[in-house]
Amino acid sequence: MSAFIGKARVIESDICIIGSGISAAMVADRLARTTSRSIVVVEAGDDVPPLGQRYPLRERYQQYGESPWPNDHLEGYEIEGPLQSRSMQVGGLAMHWGGVTPRWSPADFRARSMFGVGTDWPISYDELEPFYQEAEELIGVAGEQGPPSMDPRSRPFPMAPIPLTYNLTLLKEWAAKSGIATWSQPVAKNSRPFDGRAQCCRNDTCFPICPTGAKYSPDFTWNRLRKTRRITLYPRTLVRKLVLHDSSKRIAAAHAVQRDAKGGGIPVEFRAKTFVVAAGYVWSSHLLLLSQSSRTPDGVANRSGTVGKYLAGHRNQQAFIALPMRMFPGMNGQHSLLSKQFMGAPAGDRYLRHDLRLWESSFARGPRLRGDDGSLLLGDEIMKDWRERTKTGVARVRAYYDVIPDRSSELTLDRSRTNAFGDPLPKLAFRDAPESAALRAYSTTTLQALFQKMARAGDGTVLQTVEDDGRGWQDHPAGGCRMGDDPATSVVDKWGRTHDHENLFVVGAPNCVSGSCANATLTFCALSLRSAREIGRTM
Amino acid sequence: MHPLSRRTFLTTLAAALPAAAFVRSAHAAAIDDLASSPDTLRALGETVLPAELGRAGSAAAVADFQRWVANYRENAELLHGYGTSTLSRSGPTPATRWMIQLDALDATARRSGARSFDALPLDRRRAIVRAELDSVKADRLSPVGRAPHVALALLSHWYASADATDRCYDARILKESCRPLASSGRKPLPLAGVRA
Ligand SMILES: Cc1cc2nc3c(=O)[nH]c(=O)nc-3n(C[C@H](O)[C@H](O)[C@H](O)COP(=O)(O)OP(=O)(O)OC[C@H]3O[C@@H](n4cnc5c(N)ncnc54)[C@H](O)[C@@H]3O)c2cc1C
Ligand code: SF4
Repeated sequence: MSAFIGKARVIESDICIIGSGISAAMVADRLARTTSRSIVVVEAGDDVPPLGQRYPLRERYQQYGESPWPNDHLEGYEIEGPLQSRSMQVGGLAMHWGGVTPRWSPADFRARSMFGVGTDWPISYDELEPFYQEAEELIGVAGEQGPPSMDPRSRPFPMAPIPLTYNLTLLKEWAAKSGIATWSQPVAKNSRPFDGRAQCCRNDTCFPICPTGAKYSPDFTWNRLRKTRRITLYPRTLVRKLVLHDSSKRIAAAHAVQRDAKGGGIPVEFRAKTFVVAAGYVWSSHLLLLSQSSRTPDGVANRSGTVGKYLAGHRNQQAFIALPMRMFPGMNGQHSLLSKQFMGAPAGDRYLRHDLRLWESSFARGPRLRGDDGSLLLGDEIMKDWRERTKTGVARVRAYYDVIPDRSSELTLDRSRTNAFGDPLPKLAFRDAPESAALRAYSTTTLQALFQKMARAGDGTVLQTVEDDGRGWQDHPAGGCRMGDDPATSVVDKWGRTHDHENLFVVGAPNCVSGSCANATLTFCALSLRSAREIGRTM
Repeated sequence: MHPLSRRTFLTTLAAALPAAAFVRSAHAAAIDDLASSPDTLRALGETVLPAELGRAGSAAAVADFQRWVANYRENAELLHGYGTSTLSRSGPTPATRWMIQLDALDATARRSGARSFDALPLDRRRAIVRAELDSVKADRLSPVGRAPHVALALLSHWYASADATDRCYDARILKESCRPLASSGRKPLPLAGVRA
């Protein structure tokens, strides 16, 4: 229902979801399927170009490096600290994503009890498992199960794996020489036509844009739910504040502004029985912190003072390893092998858990302008030199490793920078807990030693090792509204319901207690579906 | 007006008054020049690209490059960086700079007594290009739009193509094109087999 009260447009619904990223899509999909409640989705960014326009957008990206998602951000949102992406649009970051969807391992949820570090989650892998499966079936994951001891699951993947390329088959054999079991990385890409979307044709621009629709992105869910009128989605509408009911601790409204093209906007008030903040690892905590009032001087849901704290993620080490085998880079370069062999108990006596991924690579195997002696190559010389150097191949190997988050790994309000509406922007700083900081050098040397061992097993050479931490950043960021049983040390309960406000949920990435050592989005989806079940159950 | 002075004039104007309208007209004029006097660029293609492309292959690579230049957009939003909130946009058209460099190749050829760059034999053309690339301290193939010299831009453009990769590996890899998933496990076929 929509009406004008005073100057603000008022929109009422049973459930108001804030954000339209992949976590929001999971919540909306489940609630639309399992309840008859009215659902409103509020998204700060614009709608995305339809599938039919994605080939030309991809072409501009390939030729000129242009963004294939024009205007997918809000102006003036340059913030201090490492933001994962500027993208804010219908579908969120998963319009850009690579679609890589491993599950996390059972050990991720029990680090304190199993290894004496970090904090246990209030839920176990087994409790999340059915929701992993549901997420895989909703978004369409093509995968191969690894050895069950490393990769437990109750039911098969909805689709057969993306086949290994010739290159990956060679790399799989090579990894086996070091005793490492690898298999086809699970991905949200169609290995067969699925859910009305095409089969993947390995044209290899999954990140940043899939032109065929073979890779899942949340716009597909939104298109379906909008077409069947199960939801109403309000794009270009930024929620600025959550407001408490006068006489209770329930959330009464979300105050928003519908942005116009000139940088201004008109006020909109969303009223609902239940509010679901699904705005990702940054904007969820940010909105809670912005929602200050005399009754909530530190923002809503922040009795514990931990909103914005314990930002989590993982760091990585990667290596480029030259191998005496001929490979053909370009066959399906974004697809990789995965190993979860090191995601269980640490191999050594100190805490280091990591995944391992292997790709074909053209590192140090591209065409070049100068020969080894510095002489300029022209005409046939460039091709001759290139052919000579590509007689052998290069593998890219990367290990994400678990970093235990510190309380001071945080998002705070930056009073020195405001958006067009005068609201302070967030400031981000990732910090390791002391136990992780103490392990950093050990982690680096242990992983580099593993790369050396792998290289030796294939008579190869490590060409370069790199740590992707140039900007103090941790990958697949999460946290900020972590879940827990104790309201003094956590923001939400094990369902994503805030301890302080019975009708306010925060879902997905912000709930994570730790960041594991593998891509995180499938876990955000599973958590969101689990929250949605609880929302549906209690309404 | 002689092309050299017209191009130089437009580029100087665009640099002095970098208003969008001037930059656009300088870009358009440079594209017109490329279309109306393609000989220098064609000859440059034959000078820097591999001979195995033959005249037709080299001409096709040059035509692709010309299309790239013609369709360049200034101030376009570039792909976001990962892990940062900083946005970036494409710079001014490189076309005006590259036109002047093409003129300079002709001017050097005329100074050595030839009618134009394309009238010189291959080894003399190559010597001129080598000297030019040394003078801009070129040491790598950079993204096309950032190439400091038109010869490098042309090289970067062609070497980024699927055709270049396939020739290097003598295999039909066809990178970034739509190919059946089912065949990805097979070693790519050699080009000779495919062409025969
Ligand atoms: C280039 C790239 C590649 C990636 N590849 C992978 C991968 O292969 N595998 C993987 O696991 N992960 C990957 N990720 C990460 C993945 O995309 C994210 O983890 C995931 O999309 C996050 O989803 P989300 O729903 O939590 O948040 P988001 O996608 O950030 O969605 C939140 C939405 O809320 C909106 N919003 C925020 N605040 C407000 C407000 N106040 N009012 C209204 N709307 C608001 C935002 O505009 C946004 O659309 C990648 C990310 C990027 C950028
Ligand atoms: S390889 Fe191509 S078709 Fe397949 S998911 Fe990626 S972009 Fe889409």
